[in-house]
Parts: sequence; C-alpha cells; structure tokens
Amino acid sequence: MADGEANGAVSGEAAGGALAYLTEMSPDLRGAAIVGSDGTVLAASGQAERWREDVAELFAVADDAGGEPVGQIHIGTEQGEVFALRHAGLAAVAVTERFALASLTFFDLRALLLDLAAGGDGRAGEASPDAA
Amino acid sequence: MPPKPHRVLLDRVSGYADEAAAYMRRRRASRRPFARLYYKGGRAEDHAVDTRAGGELFVAAGRLIELAGKRPKS
Repeated sequence: MADGEANGAVSGEAAGGALAYLTEMSPDLRGAAIVGSDGTVLAASGQAERWREDVAELFAVADDAGGEPVGQIHIGTEQGEVFALRHAGLAAVAVTERFALASLTFFDLRALLLDLAAGGDGRAGEASPDAA
Repeated sequence: MPPKPHRVLLDRVSGYADEAAAYMRRRRASRRPFARLYYKGGRAEDHAVDTRAGGELFVAAGRLIELAGKRPKS
C-alpha cells in the first residue's frame, strides 16, 4: 500500500493488541502509543490524554524544524530514547532504554503500522498458530 | 609443547567476549544526545541541542520519556 491513508478505521482493539505485542517482543521498550490520523490515541501504555498531547507536540516541533512533514524521528538523550514513525496517516511512538537498536525498533514500528493500516492486527511478524 | 585444543577454543571465545565488551564501552562513551529527523526521499537532518529546533525537540522528547517512566521489572 502506498503511504496514503489507512485502509479504513483502525480499531482501538487492534491497536491495543498490536501495542501489547510490541511490548512483549521489545525488551528495551518503556512505553509506546499508536495515534490515529485525527490525532486520537488508539492505544497507549498509560495516560492516553498525555500521550496525545506530547505526541502531537513532538510531531509539530519536528515538522516545523525541517519545514516539511517528518517521516521518522529518533532522539537520544541521557534518560532514554524516543522513536516516532508515521505511515498511512497513523503514527507510532516508542520510548526505550538508552542504546536500543534503532534499526530494529524502527522496523518493528513500521511493521506494526503497515499491518494496522492494511486492516490487520499489527502482529504481522508473528507466526500463525496454524503454521505449527 | 602445543596448547591443548580446548584451551585454544576457550582463549578464542574469551577474546571475542573481550572485544564485544570493549565495543560496548566505546559505544556508550562516544554516544552523545542527538535529535535526528528523517524525511521522504531519504533526507535526514541532525539538530544540535544548542539550536532552537534541537532544544524544542529535546524538550518534547523529555516529556515523552518522563511519561513512559521506567520499564517495570519483570
């Protein structure tokens, strides 16, 4: 799918399942959120309203910094690292421990958003139980 | 007298472990805070903390890090 809008509305249930899966397979993850095209938080670890505000501010600052909409954000600080990614109108933001593997984290976030945007449950990388 | 084969293997494994540990020490020491933005088409920009945009990015990231808190011990 092109980087347009998601294929229909993404349900909070699907986003919540995807977030749980991401948390389970990412040992460095401290917290994360998945945000819809209208800025609403579809799933978050913790206070959804604060995630909505802080994610919106991060993307606003990043868009302003480069003069065009940003695709990916990676910020590393002494306290932790922030990864953010947009795809098909959706956004995923993850906060990790320091020195998390950036390529792997972005890969996981991208796979999650690609699957959600295509109408899946965000667990594209998971082996099907029927495959066993 | 040549060393015993298992001794050679142990030395080699130990050498690899030392190399890996040294790499991690260098990586931790050399990595400074950074803010990196990626755009469509592969363009990337780094923003230093002492610039206006960089400062705002670090503040926004700090809020998210505070919000996420510490990872719960399993």
